[in-house]
Amino acid sequence: MKSNKFNLPDSNGFFGEFGGKFVPETLMYALEELENTYNELKDREDFQKEFYSDLSNFVGRPSPLYFAERLSNHYGSGSIWLKREDLNHTGAHKINNTVGQILLAKHMGKKRIIAETGAGQHGVATATVAARLGLECHIYMGAEDVKRQSLNVYRIKLLGAEVHAVDSGTATLKDALNEALRDWVTNVDDTYYIIGSVTGPHPYPMIVRDFNSVVEISKIIKKYKTDYNQLPDAIVACVGGGSNAMGIFYPFIDIPETRLIGVEAGGNGVSTGEHAAPLNDGTPGVLHGARSYLMQDESGQIMDTKSVSAGLDYPGVGPEHSWLKDIGRAEYVAVNDDEALKAFHEVTELEGIMPALETAHAFAYLETLMKELPDTANVVVNVSGRGDKDINTVAKIDGIEF
Amino acid sequence: MNRLTRTLNNLKDNNQKALVAYLVAGDPDLDSTLDLMHLFVESGVDVIEIGVPFTDPIAEGPTIQKAHDRALKNNISLKMIFDLVVEFRKKNDQTPIVLMGYLNTFISHIDLVESTSIIDSILVVDIPGELSLKDYGITNPNINTISLISPTTTDDRVELIAKNSTGFIYYVNLRGVTGSSNLNIDEIKNNIQKIKKHSDLPTLAGFGIKSANDAKMLSACSDGVIIGSSIVEMINESSNSKEFARIGEYLKEIKQAIS
Repeated sequence: MKSNKFNLPDSNGFFGEFGGKFVPETLMYALEELENTYNELKDREDFQKEFYSDLSNFVGRPSPLYFAERLSNHYGSGSIWLKREDLNHTGAHKINNTVGQILLAKHMGKKRIIAETGAGQHGVATATVAARLGLECHIYMGAEDVKRQSLNVYRIKLLGAEVHAVDSGTATLKDALNEALRDWVTNVDDTYYIIGSVTGPHPYPMIVRDFNSVVEISKIIKKYKTDYNQLPDAIVACVGGGSNAMGIFYPFIDIPETRLIGVEAGGNGVSTGEHAAPLNDGTPGVLHGARSYLMQDESGQIMDTKSVSAGLDYPGVGPEHSWLKDIGRAEYVAVNDDEALKAFHEVTELEGIMPALETAHAFAYLETLMKELPDTANVVVNVSGRGDKDINTVAKIDGIEF
Repeated sequence: MNRLTRTLNNLKDNNQKALVAYLVAGDPDLDSTLDLMHLFVESGVDVIEIGVPFTDPIAEGPTIQKAHDRALKNNISLKMIFDLVVEFRKKNDQTPIVLMGYLNTFISHIDLVESTSIIDSILVVDIPGELSLKDYGITNPNINTISLISPTTTDDRVELIAKNSTGFIYYVNLRGVTGSSNLNIDEIKNNIQKIKKHSDLPTLAGFGIKSANDAKMLSACSDGVIIGSSIVEMINESSNSKEFARIGEYLKEIKQAIS
């Protein structure tokens, strides 16, 4: 368990200056109900047993930590290890969280499940667990994302959920979140909202982090200590809202030997202003229930974002990441669309693993990182998801029509 | 005593109910907003509530969301809204003005909010009701904190929120966003009575009031009503400012219904 120093959030849901509960009054009781339920269940043996049983039998955990030999050779120094979250059922880390939250919904007797989704992975993961329990499920998705992630839209429909295309605002992930919150305000009595990232009001950033911290990190540490008598030198993960990164960073927060590196979406380049990298080029503000770094103008209006990856195309970030940035415990960098696309192709060709475009951002940063590190370095990349869902996007960029 | 407290006290002393009317600043443009504010007052409105446009207004239904979008196309900022109120105050120094919006736009302009004497209250939709504006750095004594209480607010929270409110308590009539329907009068009546046990402040009812008849029923169990989406819809339907006259007629009808 964590040492007290990092035992956050506090009782008001804050990580330092970040986080909190900034929601309309109608939702306050629902957040309290959720927090009480989670605190009551999380350490209970029967809950843990059911959660880990589902992870093992339904999700297919534990996922391997795989040595990427050709990718390591490609960079010429250091060893690159892949945490294979892409091998999970439904193809991404998102299922870890939905498997956990649906158990909370079940315990609370909620009959109706809602969720927002960007790339569609969280929508698929939510529709999947709702189908498994026979619960009514509604997925909110920006109209732009519905277009660029049509495969996942169809998957969600096949799973029996209803997809609501959201036209308002920029018609992407943030607007899907707005609409899901509006649904929740309206149907709060019988509805459970499964937020898909470490964002939103307390207790969501804590719950989503905890359910994502099942990445068998203790095993990784043991393996490194046994095999190499050292800890990983760096862990690299992509950051949109930041759930996969938070899941793998969290057990390492109080292990200073390991660098934690979050890679944001640089879009057309951070200096162009056309990106989705609030930790690199944003300021603190309040959006979607929490105080965190945001892309906003001087009037406090939220700015449009740009990323080739729908899952990273979000103007905010989880509050715990903002805190880790400010205390200097984690580093946050950005890679551009074209760098991510190059990494997508490289990893696919070198390792026979096709990463999601989100994950490709983490891979792209190896180009910079591996040059800085000594030959003995061990680096873990969190492979947050597989890239099948992105084939249409990549093909279009490559000028290929099916 | 600021304009809001004075106005609500006067109404109470005369056994009258308050009519609060909402519009979004800069929808369709700032000149229209100024005209509408004066029209509101001429039509019997006691308190003007100005919506501060925000890109992500999570408590608003489609009607008011679109009004926020239209205003943002005109690049309406909080500074421009304060300038608008300066213009309004040249002709009217009596009618209380409440700004309603989202925390991020207010904390981006704390300096404006801290120095004003032309605005009477700020209603921040997305802060927990048991906290007051002071918790967010807004200490201006001219500014009241209006807090929201909803059908889902638990009894112990009602007490906390009532204690931290100044100005009036805004009772949200329904589970939902602005402009929703399905008012449950019995539930509203019970909840407002519960609030009254904890606070002497006027309690006004808002959300989902669409007709003079709705307003009449709600005014019977509250200290006044707040009308938003139906006005914003009429503003949107008006192709020019001449057509605003029917908004005046609508407000007069409501004022009469609650008198």
